[in-house]
Amino acid sequence: MYKLTVNGLHKKYGQHEVLKGVSLKAKAGDVISIIGSSGSGKSTFLRCINFLEQPCAGEISLNGELLQTVLDKKGSQRARDPKQLQKMRTELSMVFQHFNLWSHMTVLENIMEAPMHVLGLSRAEALQRARKYLAKVGLTEQQENKYPAHLSGGQQQRVAIARALAMEPEVMLFDEPTSALDPELVGEVLRVMQALAEEGRTMVVVTHEMGFARNVSNHVIFLHQGRIEEEGHPAQVLSQPKSERLQQFLSGSLK
Amino acid sequence: MFLSGFGPLILAGTWVTLKLSLLSLLLSMLIGLAGASSKLAKTSLLRGWATAYTTLIRSVPDLVLMLLLFYSLQLGLNQCTEALGMEQIDIDPFLAGVVTLAFIYGAYFTETFRGAFLSVPAGQIEAAIAYGMTPWQSFRRVLFPQMMRFALPGIANNWQVLIKATALVSIIGLADIVKATQDAGKATMQMFLFAVVGALMYLLITTVSNLLLIWLENHYSAGVRKAVL
Repeated sequence: MYKLTVNGLHKKYGQHEVLKGVSLKAKAGDVISIIGSSGSGKSTFLRCINFLEQPCAGEISLNGELLQTVLDKKGSQRARDPKQLQKMRTELSMVFQHFNLWSHMTVLENIMEAPMHVLGLSRAEALQRARKYLAKVGLTEQQENKYPAHLSGGQQQRVAIARALAMEPEVMLFDEPTSALDPELVGEVLRVMQALAEEGRTMVVVTHEMGFARNVSNHVIFLHQGRIEEEGHPAQVLSQPKSERLQQFLSGSLK
Repeated sequence: MFLSGFGPLILAGTWVTLKLSLLSLLLSMLIGLAGASSKLAKTSLLRGWATAYTTLIRSVPDLVLMLLLFYSLQLGLNQCTEALGMEQIDIDPFLAGVVTLAFIYGAYFTETFRGAFLSVPAGQIEAAIAYGMTPWQSFRRVLFPQMMRFALPGIANNWQVLIKATALVSIIGLADIVKATQDAGKATMQMFLFAVVGALMYLLITTVSNLLLIWLENHYSAGVRKAVL
């Protein structure tokens, strides 16, 4: 059974169609990399999965449970039952390009916030979880009472990953998690993500890091102008690309 | 004798001013929050109402509005009671003062809060939503505390103006600081002395509230890295 299936997702901004029927299937433990040039729709696709953006058509199921939707006046999908969407979102933790840590909360408060106030964990349970996952992303207890503004970008993103882990989600969504980082900080975040992949976590990663796509993921999707141009095992897709677009893209991105 | 025996009267007046300003502050901040939310709402009807409200209120002098609202409230009520064959109900001047001030300053708070809401980066709310928070939770736990940091300087400003605007209510017959010190001045023929006493009372209130606001600004600035020139 699939953990996450996305079927025929369409998204329009006015007349401009950014997604023209994109599908994805993730089994437990799958690490799926979504690659493509900017404007190909890869971030939009990821943000549609947890309804940060509303698709115009398509189906999303998590653990076999279909998200029930209705169309609004503008032709975008809305959750029929907001509670179902909220519950689904707690099982789909997202890691953002710009971290989006809550700036008025300390590291610890950031990680404990949703487990306490959304999942309903006690303070003690949430604290235990927070410490566990902070250790996992390689941060010490000295950093737990700092505010995000006092951490480096790499540390902030690792806190954001700990925040996502503390939800103990079914699937983790990563939206270009290393694109806002200085080159020397990229490695520390990628190593954490690789460790998560090796643990068997299910991850969908929008990325520009071809090394990560090649070495860590077990499935690569190449998006071009809102369509899947090519997909498959990274060894095959990245080493012997069939489509001309992907060949061009890869020759541009491999240094 | 201290202040020629007018001390208690002036203290009572100060208490009226304080009650009046605090209640109007509370009410006008609620109106401001509602107004700002309406101005930022997707529904054009809400936006329209809120825009009409802030435009109208902010372009008419406080004194004119106060006379207009206070007397028109009473006149409107008189017409209603007359039509229903009831006895005249006199509007409590204190209540009328609170409502009028709140209605005026609600417009200024609407703009203060609107600006503050717009200053909170969208990513902060997105993260709240993405982690399954309800709209109320994301407002209460993320948007509001972050918005307050941006709103506080504006709130402090409006609060000071509001305290001073309460002096206008003496014209609708409330025994506030101005009324009390004027009465004392007239009775003792020491207008200047009692005017200074009145001014000092306002200074005392604003000084104490400034200290409180500095504390609040520090409280809501947690996690903000300060740039040093």
